[in-house]
Formats: sequence, C-alpha cells, structure tokens
Amino acid sequence: MTQEPGQARLESLLARSALRDRAAFAELYRAAGAKLFAVSLRIVRERGLAEEALQDSFVNIWNHAADYSRERAAPMTWMAAIVRNRSLDIARRSREEPDIDDALTQGLADEGASPEREVAERASAHRLRDCLGKLEAEQRQTIALAFYHGLTHSELAGHLRRPLGTVKTHIRRGLLKLKDCLMRGEAMAERG
Amino acid sequence: MRLSRDAVHALAGEYVLGTLRGRARRRFEALARSDRDVSAVLERWEDALTPLADRVVPVVPPARVWSAIEARTAPAESPRGFWSSLAFWRSFGLLAGGLASVLFAAFIWFSPQRAPDAGAFVAVLTSSDAAPRVVVSMQARDALLIRVVKPWAGVEGKSLELWALPAGGMPRSLGLVRNQGETRLVLAATDPRLEAMTALAVSLEPGGGSPTGRPTGPILCSGVVASLRNT
Repeated sequence: MTQEPGQARLESLLARSALRDRAAFAELYRAAGAKLFAVSLRIVRERGLAEEALQDSFVNIWNHAADYSRERAAPMTWMAAIVRNRSLDIARRSREEPDIDDALTQGLADEGASPEREVAERASAHRLRDCLGKLEAEQRQTIALAFYHGLTHSELAGHLRRPLGTVKTHIRRGLLKLKDCLMRGEAMAERG
Repeated sequence: MRLSRDAVHALAGEYVLGTLRGRARRRFEALARSDRDVSAVLERWEDALTPLADRVVPVVPPARVWSAIEARTAPAESPRGFWSSLAFWRSFGLLAGGLASVLFAAFIWFSPQRAPDAGAFVAVLTSSDAAPRVVVSMQARDALLIRVVKPWAGVEGKSLELWALPAGGMPRSLGLVRNQGETRLVLAATDPRLEAMTALAVSLEPGGGSPTGRPTGPILCSGVVASLRNT
C-alpha cells in the first residue's frame, strides 16, 4: 500500500465502491479522507463542521460512485468537488456574517504561509500554476483566498480592505484571464 | 434567458471558486442540471480549478467520522438487535466468506462419498482476525461434531458455549464445547433450536456455561452455516 494514492488505484477503488464493495470504499476513505478533510477544514474553519462535511461527502461518494467517469475528471478532482460543494453549503449556513478567524489572519500576515504562495507552490497542475502566475498579484491573491478558504465577496472585501466592486472585478477578470490562459493549453482546448 | 458564453464561464468559475453564493448558486446549479452546454462549461471549470485542492496538507479526521459514514452507508437490514447488527457480523469475521468457502469445499471433498442427510450442514467459525478456530458439522441425523482447530489460551476455569443464531431473534444455546480436539453433542437435525439458524458462534462463559441462557461473555468466533443439501 503506497502512501500517495495513485490515480489508477483511486479509480479502481471508486469502481469497486460503485459495485457496493465496502472494503474498497473503506480503503478509498483511508486513501483520500485526510486530504479531503483538510480541503473542507479550510473552508468551514471548524473541525466539527468539517467532520460533518466529510461525512456527508463520503455518503454522497458512496451513493454516486457509479456516476464517476474517468473521462471527465481525475478521481481526486471528482471527490474534492463534492467535498468543496458540501463545505461551501455548510459554511454559508454557519457563517452569515463575515468572520475572518485568527488562524487565517495570522496565515496572511506570515508571508511563508500566504495562500498566494500556496497556490504557487502547491498547484498540482503545472499549467494551472503557470496561468495563475500570469495574473496580477491582487487577482491571484483574491482567487486563492476564495478558493482555499471559501470566502464570500464581502468577506474578501473586508479582509483585503478593498471595495466590494473591486473584489468582484478582480475575481471576474482573474477567472476569465485564467480561462483564456488555460484554453491556450490543451486542458481546456481539447474539449472546445 | 440566454446567457452569453462569457457570462456562463464567469458564473461557472465563481461557482467552483465558491464566491457564487446563495440563490445565485442554487439558480446556477439548476441551470447546469437542465442545460448541457452550461454543465459542460461547469465541468471544465471544476477540472481546471479543483486540482488546487489536491495539494493541501492532509489532516487526519477523527475515527468517529468513518464510523458515522459506515453507519449511514450500511445496507438496510430488517432485525436491528445486537446479534444482527453490522458491527457484530463484521467483528467476528463472518464476511471472511472466501476463506470459509475454501474450507467448505475442502470439507466436502474429503468427506465420505455419500449423499448427506436432510439438515446436514457445516460451518467454519472464524475469530475477529478471520482465522478459522472451530469447524462445526452435522452429517449424521443426531449428532453435532465440533472440532477446535486452535485452542484458546488463558481460559482455564471458564467454558466455551456454542450458540445457534437464528435469522431474527435471540441466540439459542447448543451446549458446551471442549477447548481442544473434538466435542460431540447429541442433537437431532430436527431440533427446534436449529430452526431458521443462519450462523453459529462460540462465546466465553463462566465455568458451567452462561447463567442466563444468553451469551454473557465475549464472542470468540462465529461463522455462517452452509447447508450440505440443495433441497
């Protein structure tokens, strides 16, 4: 059993889960649970809520494993999308008011732990990293904050001390620039 | 309303990014469900942005999360008592079906070549680590043969008790079993205690057997019952 879950192994575990193989599903959880828990934790920012999101997500993964298609996405991408969606739902429910916690504030004050650098360092897809690198610094930071921490427009505005309209513009322009850059590569271009 | 392609991309990007919230988020989800072009754009954004999530530092979730997932994804079963609970079946290796069927096949293969009597059965009882510990068979009409494959250590002064587990309802005691070699229990194939039996289990009881008529000590091993006749 390798530590780093290989894509082929995750695909096979998902396929077996679709056939109601509970042992495979348990292994899938062992292989991907910790990473997905971290993804959720950053968005909902409370362990209890992240536990709820992870639980709901894996129930969803079990119920919809048969819908997974390897042509469409890597297994981790598919599962992460489920976890992120559930986490965003839970975050919205629990956090109507802008509330930037200490950990996040500290993380931003510390240059080494900034989301911006995380994006640059940790992006698994080289092309995505390259394309993010081509954005203006403020666009990039705004997009990274939104993605990793699940912040709303107004939370981003409060946090970055920018007018709401400016934040919205950064995101919208940043995303379209990102799209154009990615489309020049094969990832987005191959399907139109 | 028809959205421009740029607008669809902008909404899909913000949806995946997480900044599209509230009713707008729900509306866009509904749109993606009903419009294949929109859902294709959304999928492309998911594929493009979600790999970012792949590189976060893993945080091990507490064990209770998996327990809850397991409970919520467990197949529905009608009786819900301890003896039929998923935890029970799993704990005692009843799911080690592969191993049991190999032993079962071997048992049949080496058995005397004659048609088994009605009610004849065999069961391989395994411990929680899926190791076979006891083989129970009924081939004659009036006797149960229990063979301990590997005796338990540290059970001096206590008794091993064999139980028949019916498909729903409480276990029924079949008698005490010696912690080594073979034990022969006189029991008719038509005995009511064997009715609707689906599995057998051995529990550890005070010397002389359970004082209550129900298992009181830990279950040492258990296994499903395989009938030797196709009727």
